[in-house]
Amino acid sequence: MSITHRCRSLARIGMAGGLTALAIGCTEKRVDPTAAPFAEFTRRVDEYVALHNAAAEKVGPLDETKSQAEIAARAVALGYAIAAARPQAKQGDIFTIEIATVFATMIHEEYSRRPPPVLDTREDTQEELPDFVPKVNELYPTTYPLATFPPSLLPLLPRLPEDIVEYRIVQKYLILRDVEANLIIDFMPNALP
Amino acid sequence: MHSLSRLVVAVLAAGWSVPLAAQELALPLKRGSVRFAVIGDVGTGDRPAYAVAEQVARYHRVFPFTFAILLGDNIYGSERPQDFLKKFERPYKPLLDAKVEFHAALGNHDDPNQRFYKPFNLGGERYRTFKKGNVRFFVLDSNYLDPDQVQWLEKELAASGSDWKIPYFHHPLYTTARRGPEVELRAILEPLFVKHRVNVVFQGHEHVYERIKPQKGIYYFIAGGSAKLRKGDVRPGALTEVGFATDRSFMLVEIAGNELHFQTISRQGTTVDSGMIRRGGVPTLAPAKASPARTKARP
Repeated sequence: MSITHRCRSLARIGMAGGLTALAIGCTEKRVDPTAAPFAEFTRRVDEYVALHNAAAEKVGPLDETKSQAEIAARAVALGYAIAAARPQAKQGDIFTIEIATVFATMIHEEYSRRPPPVLDTREDTQEELPDFVPKVNELYPTTYPLATFPPSLLPLLPRLPEDIVEYRIVQKYLILRDVEANLIIDFMPNALP
Repeated sequence: MHSLSRLVVAVLAAGWSVPLAAQELALPLKRGSVRFAVIGDVGTGDRPAYAVAEQVARYHRVFPFTFAILLGDNIYGSERPQDFLKKFERPYKPLLDAKVEFHAALGNHDDPNQRFYKPFNLGGERYRTFKKGNVRFFVLDSNYLDPDQVQWLEKELAASGSDWKIPYFHHPLYTTARRGPEVELRAILEPLFVKHRVNVVFQGHEHVYERIKPQKGIYYFIAGGSAKLRKGDVRPGALTEVGFATDRSFMLVEIAGNELHFQTISRQGTTVDSGMIRRGGVPTLAPAKASPARTKARP
């Protein structure tokens, strides 16, 4: 993302999140307004990954196997171990208000640039998804299909450790999901327009 | 589908393929060729899924392919051990017993942990590449096309010295079916496919068979009707070369040198499309030729 574009984002983020002073600073110093919230987001995700790795070590590694029972049992055991290691986890622990504001602004902007056919396709993919209210530390229901994540949005968001944590969109929620444990780590309501 | 549309689809299909009687093979069975089956959206575990699997096994007897590619939605709904048994292992037992390898891509109904399920040959990865003869396959995870995957694909495409480059994944880049093409995916993948001279792409998701007219020199096939069917969900027009949406279907493919021969077969064993694509220069498609070796697939 260019600095100019990010400055424009900052102006919007500033209005939405009370960061006007920062926004004014941007036009003068060309500070990337997403840098600090993204760095904080990454720090919080890294903390989670350390916790995930510790739990995974206890549960044991998963190699390729012919036994689906083994795969399922390992996912459940890992999910329980992680949930037990963060019993107080709640919505907003990773998507803090400041971080969520930046994410929401970027996502809304990205969607506003989409031509109608792209938005239609996106709506169609949501059709298959049930009414679903995510909860932290709960399993993402395995019987529900996973909505395709908009590939043009992914490069704009902070990178996540591959195959451990991923973004998912369900209805208007942006979900952080533990891939191996199929666990909802955190989510943002009203992330999407 | 309205009856008029259905007729047009039927005419399109007949116009491009040599009409074949049930259970006849339209593939040349050349020595040393790469042979595989293309099966999409198989994981329902219901009667049509079993009927298609039986038909695939029947054709395997006369067209001994060594592997099959799965285009995603390998297991619908719950993914308990008994689901894998009912929705995959039992219907495809004859092929698994015959040591046919299945190389799966992940669909939007698949738990990404399927990558650890050995019979799907994902090697613990959401996306991967493998080679058979002069063909390099690129298995993509179109549910989550993150920058890492795009970077990996570009590197692998560039490094591939294979004659044929065949990506396959779940969501179609071009289709006339109701849910429409994934234009966002197309914006990212198509330039890479064109740059690195991809020849043919296989996709599922839409529960129909559709052969798209070459787009920027690339043939796109949708074969997502191997268990579920969205009847009549192909709209004949400028985009579709052949469509089939009145029954379930699967494909058989044989690659010999610069020729890719394909045959699309319905659940009843009837050939609904066939032909040959020649590699190099402008892609050309010729109708399947009758061959003395054409063999009937009998139970």
